[in-house]
Amino acid sequence: MSTDGITIPASPRQEFAAGVVHCLPIVAGAVPFGFLLGSLAAKAGLSALDMGLMSALVFAGSSQFVAVELLDKNGSGGSAGLAVIGAILLVNLRHLLMGATLEPRFRGIPRARAGLALFFMTDEQWALALRRGPELTLAYWYGVAATLYLAWLASTVAGTLAGALIADPTAWGLDFTFIAVFLCLLAGFWRGVGSLPPWLASAAAALAVHALSPGGTWHIIAGALAGGAVAAIQGKRRARDA
Amino acid sequence: MLESLHLDWSVFAIVLGGALVTWMTRIGGPWLVARVRLGPAANAALEATPGAVLVALVAPAALSRPSDALAAAFVCLIARRVPMVVAVAAGVAAVVLLRRLL
Repeated sequence: MSTDGITIPASPRQEFAAGVVHCLPIVAGAVPFGFLLGSLAAKAGLSALDMGLMSALVFAGSSQFVAVELLDKNGSGGSAGLAVIGAILLVNLRHLLMGATLEPRFRGIPRARAGLALFFMTDEQWALALRRGPELTLAYWYGVAATLYLAWLASTVAGTLAGALIADPTAWGLDFTFIAVFLCLLAGFWRGVGSLPPWLASAAAALAVHALSPGGTWHIIAGALAGGAVAAIQGKRRARDA
Repeated sequence: MLESLHLDWSVFAIVLGGALVTWMTRIGGPWLVARVRLGPAANAALEATPGAVLVALVAPAALSRPSDALAAAFVCLIARRVPMVVAVAAGVAAVVLLRRLL
């Protein structure tokens, strides 16, 4: 594209298309994931419309798994509902850090447009945008976002419709599906041995609180706090040693 | 078909709340960076939170009986080596087998 060292900027349409193409391999991974979430949602008693609205408005995979699991276990009424929202917030707190690294890219963009674009920031969106470097355009961003969004919406709704057809999911060990899914998600957060102390602290705190009040969601809060506290100590120590 | 279009209002309220807090985490990053500097401790705590939440979620269920704990350990071993759907399917197959054996 460059002649005599002058780069001709790509048209928005080309940028959009590049975004679509770059996220196709990610879509291939996200679709079965969405389908699985949908079938678990059906087991939890969610309708395809409930699931579709959640995917369309929350649009954050890991937190949706957590939400569906809690809805399955504790229902949606009263304080159980507030606990679900709290859990979604905790799982998505990492967005703060991801968004922080994208700040230079969004500096010149009007606040309303940035706010809309950032609605679509998922782990995958963030990774692709970061890899694009300083040449990142809004057209590229929306090429990725539109593809991921439609794939996520379609696969989770399809999973819910299909899942509703399975009569008794627990008979097939499917109650273990949640555990397996969460462990796979957890593996994605592994950053080396340093990840272990916060995780062990979280497990210990969660088990202790769960033994005292089984069924509630307090053990999740306890685990998050214990894990966060240990990580904070690690972070402080790393900064001191550096 | 009608059932799939049923809207549970209490679920919808949760979806709206979850959507709002999630959007705030998404726009909050650039907003925060422009105003406050997070120290290394706060940074590390934020980074570790999602993992800690997932651990807290699975720990009681995964350790509830030996068969499930073994299957969970098996999933941990293969999780980073195979696609997620494969790891989940293998984990479910393992738990069915182990529950019968143990």
